[in-house]
Amino acid sequence: MSAPAWRVSAPAWRASAPAGLGRLALMAGALLFLALFLGLPLIVVFTEALSKGFAAYVAAISNPIALAAIKLTLLVAAIAVPLNLVFGVAAAWAITKFEFRGKSALITLIDLPFAVSPVISGLVFILLFGSNGWFGGWLRAHDMHIVFAVPGIILATVFVTFPFVARELIPVMQTQGRDDEETALSLGASGWQTFFRVTLPNIRWGLVYGVLLCNARAMGEFGAVSVVSGHIRGLTNTMPLHVEILYNEYNIAAAFAVASLLALLALLTLAAKSALEWRAPELRNPQRVAR
Amino acid sequence: MSIALRGISKQFGSYAAVSDIDLDVPTGALFALLGPSGCGKTTLLRIIAGLEAPDAGQVLFDGRDATRWPIGERKVGFVFQHYALFRHMSVFENIAFGLKIKPRRDRPTAEAIAKKVRSLLELVQLEATADRYPSQLSGGQRQRIALARALAVDPALLLLDEPFGALDAQVRHELRRWLRRLHDELHFTTIFVTHDQQEAIEVADSIVVLNRGRIEQHGIPGEIYDAPRSAFVHRFLGQVNELPVSRTREGGLRIGELAIDESLIAPNGPVAPNASRAASEAQIALVRPHEIELRREPGGWRASVLAVRVIGPIVRIDLAADGRPAHAPLEAEISRERYALDRFAVGESVSLRLRGWQLYPA
Repeated sequence: MSAPAWRVSAPAWRASAPAGLGRLALMAGALLFLALFLGLPLIVVFTEALSKGFAAYVAAISNPIALAAIKLTLLVAAIAVPLNLVFGVAAAWAITKFEFRGKSALITLIDLPFAVSPVISGLVFILLFGSNGWFGGWLRAHDMHIVFAVPGIILATVFVTFPFVARELIPVMQTQGRDDEETALSLGASGWQTFFRVTLPNIRWGLVYGVLLCNARAMGEFGAVSVVSGHIRGLTNTMPLHVEILYNEYNIAAAFAVASLLALLALLTLAAKSALEWRAPELRNPQRVAR
Repeated sequence: MSIALRGISKQFGSYAAVSDIDLDVPTGALFALLGPSGCGKTTLLRIIAGLEAPDAGQVLFDGRDATRWPIGERKVGFVFQHYALFRHMSVFENIAFGLKIKPRRDRPTAEAIAKKVRSLLELVQLEATADRYPSQLSGGQRQRIALARALAVDPALLLLDEPFGALDAQVRHELRRWLRRLHDELHFTTIFVTHDQQEAIEVADSIVVLNRGRIEQHGIPGEIYDAPRSAFVHRFLGQVNELPVSRTREGGLRIGELAIDESLIAPNGPVAPNASRAASEAQIALVRPHEIELRREPGGWRASVLAVRVIGPIVRIDLAADGRPAHAPLEAEISRERYALDRFAVGESVSLRLRGWQLYPA
């Protein structure tokens, strides 16, 4: 999101820079940094993944335990992302279109998952639903498992990823104001008609963007999920956890093979994001808070 | 539809946006709510539309209490300053919106909708724009489309919030005249909000001047301009020169050190202030620029010309007058024709007479 910022300011410094040398040095420095900290690791992931040949790569990701991890990751994202989509739209709608008591508290709360360490987020669920937690006894009595089971992983993921959609939509909806909605209402539209025919089309690109980021994080989350998962192979391991286990077992090639899938997902997300920015000029506004 | 407001009040936090407003708008009238920003005019309009709920008071539509009616049931067309066109819809879809969202049993057929949209586009003289998107239209065109969209649902009442505020002067002027003609043809009740006194005088049948959430004066345009009931209205409706007036020991009036006598008053000028007004000690006289007469005669109220500026048909002359502080020059306006006869030059000494004034308690 920072890229358009320098593109916008480029003519100003180009006009005032006396020497091309400083400019060249700055660009070289930036590119070197990017290559070192972003490009190199990416290359390492893919070369390590394929270090034992393509057959070993395929074997590593088609192994039943790896497949279970992939399936679980997809399942978690498939539940967490729609939930946060609905929550994010509702929160952004409430915050930008209505005045109510406790509004600033809600805005602060939305940022909470970004403010606390993911490990703490995971720990909270252990303290709530673990066997010695607040609801532990009740859950045991009803033979329900949340911690060290799939529901816990989903809860932790939902918690960690819930700011993405709301944070993306709030600035978009704030700049758009309430005039469109009020016009629709004055023309006789119901609340739902106003939402689906006026609000949603107005925010669609911001929404898709938020969902993309939310999805990337949901699939890549490690800390919070690690705490609540229990690391049961083939049952409660997501892809990032599976990568860690393989790595700890010195199964480097397999670890990188699975990691390459996550990296691929990240690249796809970035590509989709760029395509969106190209498509929707309102997302290119450099004043939006980068995250 | 006739509108009646009874004791309307609305607070935002500790700020009273409108207080105890009573107003009657007869069917078919074209009303202007005029006032500076923050005077409560937009809040009042939004209360009539149903976009805000009043804290106290009643809104009556044709005598029926509509205070709690939801906006969708009020049959009100609302047009925003910034048009609020739906940017993802074409002009056609924008205008058709209010018809397409009707419940199935009330919804006209697709052909009927298309016919209606076409006739509205004709009405706003933008037939060729049906397939364009709002971003492809000029400001004036967007505002006319917004109006057509509001008219599509056959509102009984049209509410316009600073409808021409975002347009440049030329387009604004044309649209004002167009709105006036449109209203004369269609006769729906219309209320518009403006901070531009010129606009209110040009377009409205009736002007309601608001100040700090209260109605300062209500009347026909000429009356508001010629007989302002308060210093606020007088100041708001045009340029004024403010002359502090005090009483002499003999009971006469003076401006600063200058006694007001016949030499200061033009032959058809103001008569001596009436008893009730003269009774209050400290007063202020408001004099419009065109009410100051410049002459080359000796004597009288002396002033020297500071600046002369020709503005189309009028000539504005800044004057440093005796008894006035240097930082508060008087502003006079004379016609171009008068200026052609008497070419007052900068630095020249002239004699002033007042052709009119209004006295207000200071």
